[in-house]
Amino acid sequence: MKEVTKEVLIDASNRLLFTMSDSEFNLLLEEFEIIKKQMDLMGHIEGVDDVEPMTFPYEVEVSYLREDSPKEVISKEEALKNAKNVKDGQIKLPKVV
Amino acid sequence: MSILDLTIKEIHEALVNKEIKVSDLVKESLERAKNNKDNAFEIILEEEALKKAYELDKLEVEKDNYLFGIPFALKDNFSTKDIETTASSNILNGYIPLFNATVVNKLLDKKAILIGKTTLDELAMGGTGTSGHKGITFNPYDKTHTHLIGGSSSGSAVSVSDAITPFSIGSDTGDSVRKPASNAGLVGFKPTWGRISRFGLFPFAPSLDHVAYFTRSSFDAAILLNTLAGRDEHDSTSSFKEVEDYTHFDEKIKGKTFALIKEINESIKDEVLTNKFNELINKIKEKGGIIKEVNFDTKLLNAIYPSYIVISSSEATSNNANLDGIKFGPNYGGNTYQEVMFNARTNGFSNLIKRRFVIGSYSLMRENQQETFLRAQKVRRLIVNRLNEILEECDFVIALASPSVAPKINESSDKLSETYLIADNYLAMANFGGEPSITIPLGFKDDLPFGVNITSKIFSERKLLSVVSEIEELTGLRNLSTKTYKREDK
Repeated sequence: MKEVTKEVLIDASNRLLFTMSDSEFNLLLEEFEIIKKQMDLMGHIEGVDDVEPMTFPYEVEVSYLREDSPKEVISKEEALKNAKNVKDGQIKLPKVV
Repeated sequence: MSILDLTIKEIHEALVNKEIKVSDLVKESLERAKNNKDNAFEIILEEEALKKAYELDKLEVEKDNYLFGIPFALKDNFSTKDIETTASSNILNGYIPLFNATVVNKLLDKKAILIGKTTLDELAMGGTGTSGHKGITFNPYDKTHTHLIGGSSSGSAVSVSDAITPFSIGSDTGDSVRKPASNAGLVGFKPTWGRISRFGLFPFAPSLDHVAYFTRSSFDAAILLNTLAGRDEHDSTSSFKEVEDYTHFDEKIKGKTFALIKEINESIKDEVLTNKFNELINKIKEKGGIIKEVNFDTKLLNAIYPSYIVISSSEATSNNANLDGIKFGPNYGGNTYQEVMFNARTNGFSNLIKRRFVIGSYSLMRENQQETFLRAQKVRRLIVNRLNEILEECDFVIALASPSVAPKINESSDKLSETYLIADNYLAMANFGGEPSITIPLGFKDDLPFGVNITSKIFSERKLLSVVSEIEELTGLRNLSTKTYKREDK
């Protein structure tokens, strides 16, 4: 496992597209001392790595595919209603090139 | 006593008997919502609720519809068409959904009346009720505002415990309804994962998220499940399993086996709470219940919280990737589209939520995944296996819902102690396995309530609610709220 340093935490936050203040990173670094100890508890369980990861509470088998037909369609105006920067019926973003 | 202080079932009878009009009921509910000082509401929908109430006044009360004209509150992480929905996060300020969550449509179809949307821990990611963008939500049992109500379904808990509404909707990913229910003296019920559609609920950690709710009796919880349960083609994880009549209470304590998990009991040190719990266990025995003490495995129980935090934070990072300030939410500008997103997320999320996201991001790093995310999912399997083994031998698991009454705001605790790791966090195991799980009020300490939790096998809601109804008779705390508690106290 990666050692938890301030740089690693900054990298982790950048991957999620946000940053925090210096003092927040320091606070999180302190919190990680406890978090790491808590995470270690997962490794104390005998045979833990011998089972398959569980991704849902119980096995759900769905053996059909629904028809791929449009049902409730929203209008263009509705789709753009919550965007703050709209021009000519499209969401406007800074130029890429 | 006001009719609004009664349970759904009793209010319904009063409406049928013309003892009260829907508009008078709703007016009082709105007045109480406006006068409440616990920071429970994101928005109070006075105009809309009154309009609906006057419409219902003109109709005959539907005798077979318990929810006709009943006011309710909704956690602000459920989509409501044309009503701002922020999940108590600044990144969603001004966001107005285009559709209703399925549970909202089902309740409105039954002519229940939405009076307001309630505060929560930001994006439902917290258990204290202190991290929403409107500040701390307080416990109505403590007028000094010293104690938490807990979260994340904080405002919904206030709404029912302060008798503003007889029920409210919340969501439960780790214990976000069942823990505040303990702090607020309420019935907090999370049915089986898949039993209720989650379409329109803002996802936090979908493998653990449940629609859940607060009421003041198990019968009311059954009334709601009759309406809310069922397959929804908008939610592929909703179950096809047949919906039963959950109000048909024909199961009794007699002959049922209750598992007492030794390690959970031993991790709770407060004598007032444990004495009250032991009293209840004796009463269950007197009613013919069979009590069986079982060992779970301390190492597994100690690992519930870390595996919960790893799984939920990791799932949350991807589920909240759509919050980018472009399609909705405040736009803080930027020179590139990446900067637009970066600025929106930096300004829109609070520091607490960012720290949770960073834990998720760290857990998902390729170098860490084996020992964090994947291991947490393996721990989850072992915990669920053990819980299900116990539920094969016993009908129910019963334990105090919390090691204490509502903690003080900013009270610190030892995050590596068994009291914290086990007693304070074991409820998440029913999110891991999706089992139906209910908290009901058990007693008081220093005028603050605390609850007991009962969990059963997946899709056994009818049996659970039926037996819990008999347990309510043993606790004597059916229909508890600040209104009824004060009355008894005097």
